Amino acid sequence: MELVLMDNLWVVIGTFLVLLMLGGFILLEAGSTRMKNAGHIAGKTIFTAGIGSLVFWAVGYGFIYGEGNWFIGLSNFFYGDTSFSGDGLSPAVDFMFQMMFALIALTIAFGGFAERAKLSAYVIFAVLFSALVYPVVAHWIWGGGWLADHGKQDFAGSTVVHLTGAMAALAATIILKPRIGKYNKDGSSNALAGHNQVYLALAVLLLWVGWFGFNGASTFGVGDAFFGFVILNTQLAAAAGAVAALFVAWIVTGKADVPTMLNGALAGLVAITASCGFVDPWAAVIIGLIGGIMVFYSMRFFEKMKIDDPIAALSVHGTVGIWGTISTGFFATESLSVGAEWGLPGLFYGGSLEQLGVQVLGVVSSGAYAFVVSFIILKVMDKVMGLRVSEEEEIVGLDLSEHGSYGYPENIPNPDEKQGA
Amino acid sequence: MHNKQVVRQIKGIDETLNNYTEINEWRQDKIVRVMTDHQKLNELHDSIIENTVKVAMKKVQSELGNPPAPFAFFLMGSAGRFEQSVLSDQDHGIIYQSHDESCQSYFLTLGAEITNGLSETGYELCDGQVMASNPLWCKSIRQWEEQIVDWMEDSSWKSLRHFSTFFDSRVMFGETSFLTEIKNYAFMILNEQPRLYKRLVENVDFVKKGIGVFGQLLPEQYGEESGAIKLKQTTFFPYVNALRLLALKENILEPSTLKRFEQLPVSLQSFQSYEKDFRRLLDFRLQHRKHAQSYKDVHLIQINSLNREEKQTLKQLMKKGYKLFDETKTIIEKECSTW
Repeated sequence: MELVLMDNLWVVIGTFLVLLMLGGFILLEAGSTRMKNAGHIAGKTIFTAGIGSLVFWAVGYGFIYGEGNWFIGLSNFFYGDTSFSGDGLSPAVDFMFQMMFALIALTIAFGGFAERAKLSAYVIFAVLFSALVYPVVAHWIWGGGWLADHGKQDFAGSTVVHLTGAMAALAATIILKPRIGKYNKDGSSNALAGHNQVYLALAVLLLWVGWFGFNGASTFGVGDAFFGFVILNTQLAAAAGAVAALFVAWIVTGKADVPTMLNGALAGLVAITASCGFVDPWAAVIIGLIGGIMVFYSMRFFEKMKIDDPIAALSVHGTVGIWGTISTGFFATESLSVGAEWGLPGLFYGGSLEQLGVQVLGVVSSGAYAFVVSFIILKVMDKVMGLRVSEEEEIVGLDLSEHGSYGYPENIPNPDEKQGA
Repeated sequence: MHNKQVVRQIKGIDETLNNYTEINEWRQDKIVRVMTDHQKLNELHDSIIENTVKVAMKKVQSELGNPPAPFAFFLMGSAGRFEQSVLSDQDHGIIYQSHDESCQSYFLTLGAEITNGLSETGYELCDGQVMASNPLWCKSIRQWEEQIVDWMEDSSWKSLRHFSTFFDSRVMFGETSFLTEIKNYAFMILNEQPRLYKRLVENVDFVKKGIGVFGQLLPEQYGEESGAIKLKQTTFFPYVNALRLLALKENILEPSTLKRFEQLPVSLQSFQSYEKDFRRLLDFRLQHRKHAQSYKDVHLIQINSLNREEKQTLKQLMKKGYKLFDETKTIIEKECSTW
């Protein structure tokens, strides 16, 4: 009984840590954008988490884990199970932990909205994403859907959380188009630098610690202290990602760019999310290193493609989310896959191409679903209500246009002040 | 002396140029013929500036009478170093010989008229306000000497930057001895306080990187300049700064980098080998930027406009410049430590 309660306690601690990751996202998004949007960015993260929580309670959990079919669950709506059998996790503990993942995916999706989307667009999309996009992919992989049947490995959510969020962000970024001033007429791009690198560094630290809950508590128990191994892999990949991104930026551009390095740490964390329970520590280092290098090139790629992604959500969570998922197809060991009755070993451990194939299938199908459904939702929203604020509102900043006051009132001149005749 | 004679030959037409518009038209006509020849191009610039100053002088004289004291109008920056490209901004100052403070208003008016004239004859205003219309750059000999002492005593980033700007100078009009006197005064102070050499090195030690670890060129990443190399910051500065430091150390009055190379003492003969690299750099800039549309443009080289060989040349010129600067730094730091 004590062990079961400790399992429950550990997952609740994980829940707290993952919820605190929203604080990391607040700092990350605010720091990556300009002062005039800081209050808006910070505030919207909290209220969309509110919307996401209510939707997850009402229908999200049921769509993922309810009795249903290969595509979606269809029971356990308006969740309120007070039972506890004394075995495994209490339903409420499990529910709370699952809810946090849905909120993280939603927050990642909103990275694609930054600095130009209407407040109302956040409200509506928070409801629709939390009901129709995230739960479906989560059901496929974690809720007994068709990909779970194939043995797809995603320990803590490289695909379910990160890729799904990033695909919605990609759809939003494409429909919203670049921010004013991002691209010049000759096609060159401008650096619309974020206003606070200290926020970014603190964001990464907060997310990093939160990730110990994200990955570590995804063991759902403390019995064999496996969470320690998972956390070790998480730490190594994040470290390798930070170092790799810093060096690749330094070598290629001549500048040891701070935001790139910080995104490298996050890339390491995203990359190891799927594989943290399946691979050896040396492989975690490789997975993190490759994630760190990929994030640098991916950011340059999106920039060149004129896809304006201020938070680098597409690169950190999308590109690297894909890599993280596929990485188990190479690096999963026999004892941690077959031994744990979760899929097959990867290619480098004598496995066939089968697991790699399953991972690729998971990425393609989940990514495609998340992108297409998000795209349709956002396109319809754009037609019906408009997603983007007006040019004037964007220039004056969303703090003022959407909320009526600046996040940094003392540092921005009041536009109402008379400027001449 | 050689330069002056050539300038006179090119000029020969100053009598016909009576206003800024005529000078500007004359400039447009002449400049296309010399835009790839460093020497002739700079002689032409001298000629344009000299004629502009003469017109400005006449204007001020007709309104305020003759100058109240002997004076020197001097050039700084790339014009001072005889290293202008097709387009350039203006950097200049005035030294007058008088203790009478009231003289300043006359010379400031003259400075303002020259500034206005030069802007009409094709020289952009200086962003940093290094112009004779600014009281900081228009002073009596005594005030200049005090200014030099202040800059040296302060020895902050900004004041040493001002001093370096001042030191790359030559008189274009008026009493050449005034400037020489002030430069010699600066040498005296430097010789008394050799720690200043070290500060002057530190002041220009940061060089914008032009080459990466793998020897690749590092162009600008963002904005309308993306894909371009900033030639001035990445390639010119190491040469110009190194030779200025050596000139200060060896008490060489000459402002031009090429002339500074020539006048290096025998003990620094090894530095002579970099002279040909600097000449190549001057030619490289003129060859590639002769069609520049603005002063900012003059120093921007799009790397995709360069062929393989030209990229190699540019990289070599950068590497040589960095090496020259490093060697200069070593020599100065070594000698400072023995003083």
